[in-house]
Amino acid sequence: MINLEVRNLNKSFGGQKVLQDLNFNINGPELIGLIGPNGAGKTTLTNILDGALKPNSGTVYLNGERIDQLKPYEVALAGLGRTFQVTRSFRRMTVLENLYVPALAVGARKNRKRVHDKAMEVLEFLTIDHLCNEYAQALSGGQQKLLELGRLLMLDPGVIILDEPFAGVHPRLMEVIYEYIRRVNASGTAIVIISHQMDAIFNLAERLLVLDFGHIIADGPPQEVKNDPAVIEAYLGVDEDEEEEGADAPAGA
Amino acid sequence: MRKQQIPNLLGALTLIFFAAFPFVYSGGNYDYVMHILIIGFFYAIMASSWSMLAGYAGQFSFGHMGFMGVGAYTSALLLHYVHFAPQPTNICTEYQIGGTWMIFVNPVGVTSTSLVQDCLTQAKAIWGSAVPVRDVPVWLGILLGTFMGGLFGFLIGLLVLRLRAAYLALFTLGFAEILKATISAEIDVTRGQAGLETPALFENGITLFGQAYTRTDKLPPYFVFFFMLLACLAILTWLSRSKFGLFVRALREDQDAAAALGVNTTRYKILVFVVTTSMAAMAGATNAHYVGIVTPNALFLLQMSLLVSMAIIGGVENFVAAAIGAIIIQTLLEILRSASFEIGSIHIDMIYWRLVFFGILLMLTLRFSSNGLIAPIIDYFYRSDVGKETVAKREQSSGKEGAAS
Repeated sequence: MINLEVRNLNKSFGGQKVLQDLNFNINGPELIGLIGPNGAGKTTLTNILDGALKPNSGTVYLNGERIDQLKPYEVALAGLGRTFQVTRSFRRMTVLENLYVPALAVGARKNRKRVHDKAMEVLEFLTIDHLCNEYAQALSGGQQKLLELGRLLMLDPGVIILDEPFAGVHPRLMEVIYEYIRRVNASGTAIVIISHQMDAIFNLAERLLVLDFGHIIADGPPQEVKNDPAVIEAYLGVDEDEEEEGADAPAGA
Repeated sequence: MRKQQIPNLLGALTLIFFAAFPFVYSGGNYDYVMHILIIGFFYAIMASSWSMLAGYAGQFSFGHMGFMGVGAYTSALLLHYVHFAPQPTNICTEYQIGGTWMIFVNPVGVTSTSLVQDCLTQAKAIWGSAVPVRDVPVWLGILLGTFMGGLFGFLIGLLVLRLRAAYLALFTLGFAEILKATISAEIDVTRGQAGLETPALFENGITLFGQAYTRTDKLPPYFVFFFMLLACLAILTWLSRSKFGLFVRALREDQDAAAALGVNTTRYKILVFVVTTSMAAMAGATNAHYVGIVTPNALFLLQMSLLVSMAIIGGVENFVAAAIGAIIIQTLLEILRSASFEIGSIHIDMIYWRLVFFGILLMLTLRFSSNGLIAPIIDYFYRSDVGKETVAKREQSSGKEGAAS
């Protein structure tokens, strides 16, 4: 059973407090949308969860193991995978080699044939199997996004954080990514999607986390959160007629 | 025969050519030609190990010649200062190990050699030939030099962990220059610019294939360097095909992404430094004994530029191409020494102009074929079918359903 516990996370850069006493849990294979305005702390949170940044205080536990002081590669091996806001494929390596990297990093001695077969399976699922021997730099932007998702499948983590998976993606590829997210989630992986594309988020997520100024101001099912006045004010946009002054965030746990 | 087998066949033919060359070559200047090839092999080891470090792992180090110097000086200093004798000199620093005495010769510097003899020389003057003094064997010096190169590589690797691209190049350049300055300054120990003399690879000669060779014959060192090059290329090939090769290339492409996918980037970055600097140090130590002297001014910056150029013109992301590039360029530069031609009434003497042409070749390579001149040829045989394959596969799968754009 997947369990991610984020407790009292604080992070500042210089005088700017980016995350303040952040708390939330992920229990089981949830499909979560993480939204919030620019500068809310979404990417900082991702970087802390992933080990690239260390929090000033607070803890993160993944399945009972404390991961907030681990290095990024240790976090990955502990079972938390992520993609980057800007696609970061290994450009001068072939598509297959891109997939071999996480597969061989996870298992010390793996049967190469089995790794190859699994990689081909993943590529087929992502509809880019015909490109398997091309260098990643030959792929289109959207295909590189798919490749990044494919690498995560080879890592096979319990929790996946997708940073802007829909940015600049053609609608047809979008379908492939939707399908990916649903299938990977159905296979028992918790997924956190960070996105500004509300349609996609409301379409997919079962639970929304709204981040603003380093706080979680709302946490709950999308329909509920959508009507939350604090969220409307901070993020979704203020309808002037309905503007409520000083509405405090009734942040659900 | 399949296209992919052609490079293997050419490789095998090249091996046979170089293995047979010393026995079949009957042109003039035998020693000179052999010398050029030996130095060519030396640069081939340097260029191929550097291409693993810079081309494969993306660690654009400018300190490779420095590590070569570490190997050379380790072996030279060890053989110069450490000796063994069955009885103590009573004037040197010495330690008893079993029935032998390990003697550390005191440094006397350069200027005072005619005034003060080092302690072992003084002892020998008293002993005459009655007491046999033994030196450290050359192979042990090379081995220790290799080890020291790896150790320095480990330390430098640790220090540059967080440095990327230009900063790493500057740092490693700084390391090499500091090393050179230190060697030049410590005249007492290193004899500074005067250099340390080193015993030959086979000081007492060697018998190979039933023929006796003296210490100055070129054939034994030729095969030492030849097999050393083959060993290095074999190790590099093995590494490049293993997990190590995959991970260091991922490291080159994107260190953060590799770490996020579970690759211990720290370990592999240090490991690639240790492996390649050991190779540079081994080549350096062996070369020191081949040339017979090590000096600080022959090392480093200018040589480093030559090395980088060789690797880049060959193909920096392919260590076999880098090695071939090194041998070809070394040979070409030597051949061009004696070439000259006329353009109209202007006499072009290549001994002065060869480096200019070489520089232009380097610039053209960088501009028009950034992966070198030899690597693309190898790639042509291995990868030219990939495009066709992709198209065929796409057509095959688009029969099933609409493929991704």
